[in-house]
This record gives sequence, C-alpha cells and structure tokens, in this order.
Amino acid sequence: MEPAHNKAGAKPGFEEYDYSNFYYGAGDDPLNLLTPFARWWRDAVPNGYYLYQEALEDAPTTHVRVRNGKTKQVQDLLNLASYNYLGISYRPEVKQAAIEAVEKYGLGASGSPILSGTFGIHERFAEELAAFKGKEATIIFPTGYSANVGFISALMRSGDTVFLDQYSHASIVDGAILAKSKTVFFRHNNPLDLERKMARVKGKKLVVVEGVYSMDGDVCTLPEILEVTKRHGARMLIDEAHSTFLFGPNGRGVAEHYGLDKEVDFHLGTFSKSLGGQGGFVCGSQDLIDYVVAFSRSRFFSCNLSPVLVAGLRAGLQIASEEPELRAKLWSNVAFLRRRFEEEGVDIGKSNSQVMPVMVNNDAKVFAVAEKIQDRGLFLNPVTYPAVPKHKSRLRISVSAAHSEEDLEKAVGIIAGVLREEDICR
Amino acid sequence: MSLTRYGYRNAINGFFEFPTENARRILPRGIEPVEPHHGSSVLAVTVFHFHESEVGEYGEVVYAILTPPRVEDGRLPQGAFFPWQVATTSKASREHAIERWHLPHWMDDVGVDFEPSNEGRSLTARVEAEGSLALEMTITDHSWNEVSHLYQSFQQDDEGRYMCNILFEGEKSEHEEETGRIKLHEHPFNRDIEISEVFEQPFREMWMRDGHQLFDPLRTL
Repeated sequence: MEPAHNKAGAKPGFEEYDYSNFYYGAGDDPLNLLTPFARWWRDAVPNGYYLYQEALEDAPTTHVRVRNGKTKQVQDLLNLASYNYLGISYRPEVKQAAIEAVEKYGLGASGSPILSGTFGIHERFAEELAAFKGKEATIIFPTGYSANVGFISALMRSGDTVFLDQYSHASIVDGAILAKSKTVFFRHNNPLDLERKMARVKGKKLVVVEGVYSMDGDVCTLPEILEVTKRHGARMLIDEAHSTFLFGPNGRGVAEHYGLDKEVDFHLGTFSKSLGGQGGFVCGSQDLIDYVVAFSRSRFFSCNLSPVLVAGLRAGLQIASEEPELRAKLWSNVAFLRRRFEEEGVDIGKSNSQVMPVMVNNDAKVFAVAEKIQDRGLFLNPVTYPAVPKHKSRLRISVSAAHSEEDLEKAVGIIAGVLREEDICR
Repeated sequence: MSLTRYGYRNAINGFFEFPTENARRILPRGIEPVEPHHGSSVLAVTVFHFHESEVGEYGEVVYAILTPPRVEDGRLPQGAFFPWQVATTSKASREHAIERWHLPHWMDDVGVDFEPSNEGRSLTARVEAEGSLALEMTITDHSWNEVSHLYQSFQQDDEGRYMCNILFEGEKSEHEEETGRIKLHEHPFNRDIEISEVFEQPFREMWMRDGHQLFDPLRTL
C-alpha cells in the first residue's frame, strides 16, 4: 500500500499552504525549504500572489499606473493602496525642495549619523520636528522599522520585560527580540489582559502600543492601557506611525487626541505614512534622546537619511503644520467613505481611522475579489493569513486627503459591486 | 507497506499559547518548539473519539507541542508535533499505542466525555483522571471542508527517537475566532504545565469529524 504521505488523491493544492508553512523546517540543510517553497510559489503567483509587489510606474497620487503582475500590462488605476494620507509627497514645494537639495548635497549622506553622515539639514529637521511634537528633542532613524528596533533595544535589556499588543507591528516585536528582553503579548487593545499579565512581573517593564493598528485601522484604547501601565510602574512607548500628523488638535497623534501627550513616556512616528516619504523618529527629553543616540544600533550602524529626502520631509512638515485643512479634508473623506460603506453593507471591521479593512472573511476568495477589483480600475492590496487571522482576509484601504468624493464614490461602487457578485455583502 | 487506520467520529483540537520556557522543559534536546510569537510556543490539546481501530472504540487525549516538520522529498506536512502525554480510556488502546508508536502515556484509564452545545456548533470534551476532572475544552465550529492533511509526529523514549507521518482525512473546521475555551485543573495530569501561563482561549481551533487518521509505519531516527 502506498505510504500515507504519498497517498493517491491526497496531493494538496497551493491553497492548502501559505507563507507560514515555509518558515519552520527541520533537517540538516539550511536550504531545504527552497524546493517545497518554489513548488508552491509557482502555483501561488498566478493564483493571486501576483497581486503583491506590483510595480508602480509613476508617483503614488490618487491615480497610479500599475504594471499588472499577471498580464504585465500597465493599468491606470484609482489608488487607495498608498499611505500618503495627506497627499504631501508629490506636492510641488516638496519636489522643489528635494530638487534643490540634490543640487546642493548630491545623492546621499555617505556616512553613519554618528560619524560623517549628519548634515545641518538633519539637525534643523530634528529641531523642527521636536517643536511640532512639543518635545525637547528628536532622534531620526533611516526607517520606521529601525526606529522601533533601535529605540526598544537601546532601552531594554535581558531580564527586562516588554509587553506588546498581540497585533504589534513586526518592528516592535523585533526590537524586543534584539533587546533580549522577555516579551509578553497581551490580547489586542485589552487592558484587562494586560493587567493580568503585568501583575506577575517584577523589574523594568515597557508597554508598547500603536496609535492606529495598521491591519484593522482601530485606534488604541490608550487611556485604559496607560492607566494599567502606570499603576504597575511601567513606561509606555506609543508608535504613532499611522497617526502622527493626523490625530489631535495639532496633529501630534493619538496621545494628543486623548489629551495624554505628556503622560505617555516615549513617542515614535514615521515619515512614510502621512508625509509619504521615508524614515522614523522618536522624541522626548534631551536626556532620553542623548541616551538613545548612544545605544540605538539600528541607527548607529546605518547610513543616515539622504539630505535630499530630509529636504522634502522638511517641506512636508511645514505643509502639515500650516495646513490643518488637510487633516479636516482627510477626516471628511473618512466620514464620507464610512457612511457610503455602511449604506452599501460593506463590512470595514472595527476601523475608526483612515485605515479601513474591507472584510472579505474568506481566505479562498480574497484573491479572486482583489483581482476583479483591480481589473475594474481600483488599486487595493489583499491581506490574508498569516498577516491576519485565518478567515479574516481583507482588502486594506488607505484614505487620503487628496481623494475627491468622486474618487471615493467610484471606489465604493467597484468594491460593493464585486462583493455582491461574490456573495460577500448584501 | 501497511498503514494503521483509526476512524474517528470527532476530534477537537485547540492551539494555546504558553511560554517557550515551559515548552523547553518538556521537549527533549534537539527538538525545537514553533513560536507563533517570540517567547510563546504552542500547547496543542486534542481529544479524540475513535470508533474504528484495531483495538476497538475508545477515547484519547493528547498533549503535544508544535515543532518544525522534517522537510523531505514529497509532500510538505501541514505541521508537526511532539506528543508528551497521551491518555486513553482502555488498557488495550494504551498498550497498542505504546508498543506500536512509542507514545508516552498516562498509565491509568481516563474518562473522556463529549457534550455538544449551541445547536451542535460547539463541542466540549471533559477528561477525568484518578476520579477527578483534569481538563475541560470547548471548541466551536466554522466552515466545514473535506481535507487531506499530512502531519508528522516525533516521539522519544529510552530506546530511541522516532517519527511518523500521519494523514488526517475527513471533514474539518478550522478558525481563529477565539471563541473556544480550556480549563486545565490543578491535577497531577497537568503537572508539566504552568497552568496560570496558558491563555484559556485557543488562538486556533480545529474540529474534525467523520474521518480517519492513517499512520505510516514508525521510523527510527
């Protein structure tokens, strides 16, 4: 009789596997997962995975030209996939600042920030950012990822404990790993579970939350989680990657939105979301920043941000500071889209921000839905297991202040139409 | 090659996060736990109602830790596990599993009881050992699909180390809705587990019904 693992008719299709099946594999050869992964990948790409990493051919504005991963044809699409929440990255004054900087500085920083890679423009930008956030000082990192990794590992050590929301971004988790601290995950946005877990732990404790969670678009339950944090003598880091420049009376983020800006110990943000650029930062007291400069290896051992990029970011920061109407327009767009989705019966989960998951809740259908939506003129990215739980697959929308109501109405029409055809909404 | 078949009416399984330090205390040297989160390993609890086997009808509970599968030519397994405590409702089934599969056993008969609820959409298993309740686990359903999934099981005893391919075929529901629950009682049956560190809701629930397991012959590693 044929062995069970080769039994006729038992050969699985690509849909029986996902990325998680190719992470762990015991054996003697570090390359032993390459062949099974390649075999799966050959089937997975034409069946939907081509929708990842599709190449854009011009600026990530509200409309983009995208090279279809399956047909290789360039499509003109309405763009609800890029961050660029304030539509700043392609503003003329931003581009002009970058052009002038490239003429002055050339391409890159050519050095680590602690050696030859810091320019006057970096220092001025850090000061302007600190002023915007209402803090003493700021440290700038080459990416948002390196900001979390560098900051957490600069502060925490072996024997300390980092408490993370179960939906924490990979950069937060990796920061805790690099710190060699004990990591304890609490249930998403759940202060009761955090309380239960903190009660058993002694020593240095750091709680890390995000202002807006990037897969569900829900805002942190900050007051309740902060109360637990403080009661247990812990410090708190808030990652405002998706909320800086958007939330709060001055756009400082979710901590400001709740009136808890001073109570939260450490504030982290990025430039890739609302400003549409690149990089990350942490701000706080001068003593804190001096210490982090000395011990954040991800910054220490990376080349500094290009002065060209910094010039564009300075122009972007100025726009974000001086044009609060952009935030107002973004929230007006968010309200419009929420209302229209509700009217059309489209489920956007627990989102209460500009990040909206269109819930498909069907891992077998999500790629077919995404393909149809793209073929009808809308650029959106599917998100499936293991990035989200099983059966919680979705399409992720990033709303921008630059979208017009006509853009959003068109998007609603395409999404609701496809979801109805696929029996996913009424 | 002769396969061993076990037909089941129901098999419910929960994946529970528990500290990797706890997992490492259980695992033998050379076997690593799978970590869904840094520092968290997976305690897999499965309760079976077998109705067809070489040793008749019986109930079984398996405590296992998820481990990386061994990558070989042919089909890639869905996953792998190291069972460190198995208990059954009959002496015959226990002796059969020890002899054929070298599985570590609780050496007395246990009581295994299944109770459906919520109009058949959830199933609770209760396991009693030495006259008192050791474990209660409720698993809920989701969409049902016919599946054929390959797993690997690793075993070790004083005589050696072993591996077995196991094919699960039948109806299966699998989800991550966190609607199930486990209650591990303070009991010698659970002596290897730091109960307070086990999150009581499974992050993944599986329910298999009207199917079978096909075991390849045991391989010595």
